[in-house]
Amino acid sequence: MSVIRVEALKKSFKNQPVIKGVSFTLGENRCTALVGPNGAGKTTILRMLSGLLKPSSGTITFPETSNNGDFRKFIGYLPQHPVFYEWMTGKEFLEYAGKLGGLTKEEAAVRAEELFETVGLGEAKKKRISKYSGGMRQRLGIAQAMIHRPRLLLLDEPVSALDPIGRREVLGLLENLKKMSAVLFSTHILNDAEEVSDEILFLHKGEIVEAGTMARLREKYRQAKIDLTLGNVKDMELFIEQVSNKDFVQSFLVNGNAATFFVENVEEAKTVFLREILEQHLPLIKFEISKMSLEDVFMKVVRS
Amino acid sequence: MSLWFTLFKKEWLEMVRNFKIIWVPLTFLLLGSMDPLTSYYMPKMIDALGGLPEGTVIEIPYPSPPDSLMMSVAQFDTIGVLIIVLITMGLIAGERKSGVAAMILVKPVPFGFYITAKWAASLLLMWLSYITGMLASWYYTGVLFGWIPFGEFLTALILYGVWLTLIMTLTLFFSAVFKVPGLAGFCSIALAIVINLVSGVLSHRLKWSPALLQTYAGEYLHSGEFSAGTFPSILLATAAIIFLMVFAIIIFRNKELSG
Amino acid sequence: MELFFEHYALFIPLIIAQFVLLIVAIIDLVRIEKTNGPKWVWALVIIFVNIIGPILYFIFGRRHD
Repeated sequence: MSVIRVEALKKSFKNQPVIKGVSFTLGENRCTALVGPNGAGKTTILRMLSGLLKPSSGTITFPETSNNGDFRKFIGYLPQHPVFYEWMTGKEFLEYAGKLGGLTKEEAAVRAEELFETVGLGEAKKKRISKYSGGMRQRLGIAQAMIHRPRLLLLDEPVSALDPIGRREVLGLLENLKKMSAVLFSTHILNDAEEVSDEILFLHKGEIVEAGTMARLREKYRQAKIDLTLGNVKDMELFIEQVSNKDFVQSFLVNGNAATFFVENVEEAKTVFLREILEQHLPLIKFEISKMSLEDVFMKVVRS
Repeated sequence: MSLWFTLFKKEWLEMVRNFKIIWVPLTFLLLGSMDPLTSYYMPKMIDALGGLPEGTVIEIPYPSPPDSLMMSVAQFDTIGVLIIVLITMGLIAGERKSGVAAMILVKPVPFGFYITAKWAASLLLMWLSYITGMLASWYYTGVLFGWIPFGEFLTALILYGVWLTLIMTLTLFFSAVFKVPGLAGFCSIALAIVINLVSGVLSHRLKWSPALLQTYAGEYLHSGEFSAGTFPSILLATAAIIFLMVFAIIIFRNKELSG
Repeated sequence: MELFFEHYALFIPLIIAQFVLLIVAIIDLVRIEKTNGPKWVWALVIIFVNIIGPILYFIFGRRHD
């Protein structure tokens, strides 16, 4: 079941295209990461989805809901730098946000109480927001985005401003959030995306250059590198003769008794290589497999 | 409607927390008391301090009660207007500039509610302050120079209050249009001055100009009758207020709230 | 001076108003996080500039964000 469908979304600022036709669909109970370097257009996309910016062209639809205009009630949004009424207490702001989201006074109070526990702000709820630290603001920001139980949570760089402990906590929170709604969060840090998201959208220069589930991406880019060192040059020559024509070997570099193979199917390559070595009684000195990280995948995708 | 009240109550609470609800009425109170008191005491003080050569006769006549009240209105028309503009100009522009408007307006809040709730709270504060100031002036005028019948005072108060309401609405309009509070304030003041000047110079041609409501209030106090242009100017001011609010909402709705 | 004592009751509301302004401005100054310009300057303005000191503080001293 898809929560939001985005088609051919474009945005230009002063005739400068920033988002160049982006399409994707987000499903229920899934956490999707929008990954890209700074300036790729992540914030612009999130702002368009939240309704703060108007797309130059393209459509944003919520298939489940009747399409009469205002889709803001389905959305919870956390900007990169959340801002509050500094003169309110955390509790006042959260309840205010709840009431604006359509809750009654009582519902808002109950829900706010719950959320303070969820985000770990129980202690500070009666303090003025002007006294809050950066991490507390980020958590209050997440709480206010969730208060009206939106179908879709949009979080702009929710962890980049946090210290390592806060980052851990918020990432853990994201895991829980997707039980309640679809989550789309932007980040420029791949590790964060890898850790909690089910799907990844790679954004580069305003275009989605690659997308898919983590598993599918790993499958697709499961290129690996095998470093092999044998007893002497002769052994290596023999070995190369045996394996060079295999399908999974994409390329190789030989340097005396050592060689580096770039292979497509690591598992198969490993089995074949090792069997070959055993059958030929080749003296093995070194056998090392290094997989490509998502980082490498990203760099490869971005460069291509 | 309960959503509108939520927004309105937030505006009111903010005015309580930042003490606007106290200092603006008190400022108007001081402003309204100043002129009756100085008109009464200044001649006496000059007399008492003396130092003037023998035979100098200073003849500063006491103002008539309507003149005394209208001197206070003239204060409201300068310093009072300035204060109203300064406290109103940031209401929307400031929230947009800080980014909190974006936090609020991603929630399903009608743009019209957001703006009219601010307008209503400002209206309440403005009238509360203005009435406080006028009552102070009326009281001191009454004690020192003679009483203006309360009904007549109230009528004059309403006449000039319409102009102040227009200025406040104008400021809120510019606050919705511009992102910089100072610019909104500048435009409001500049426009108010221009309207005032033009209406003053061409007063016989522009009888319906709301800027003349100050004059009409004075004329009413003196003669007990409404001058010809009074009701057209009230009508025009009301129309302008509605027009400004509607356009503020339309313009604001079509703005992009970030970036 | 006797001139003023003659009508001293007239000035009571104004003195109270001025006093309330002063107190409220000081409370606000103590509670507020940041002001435009150093806090102590505003404290001096509020206390020593007669009548308009507190008003000046509320208009220009508070940070409106």
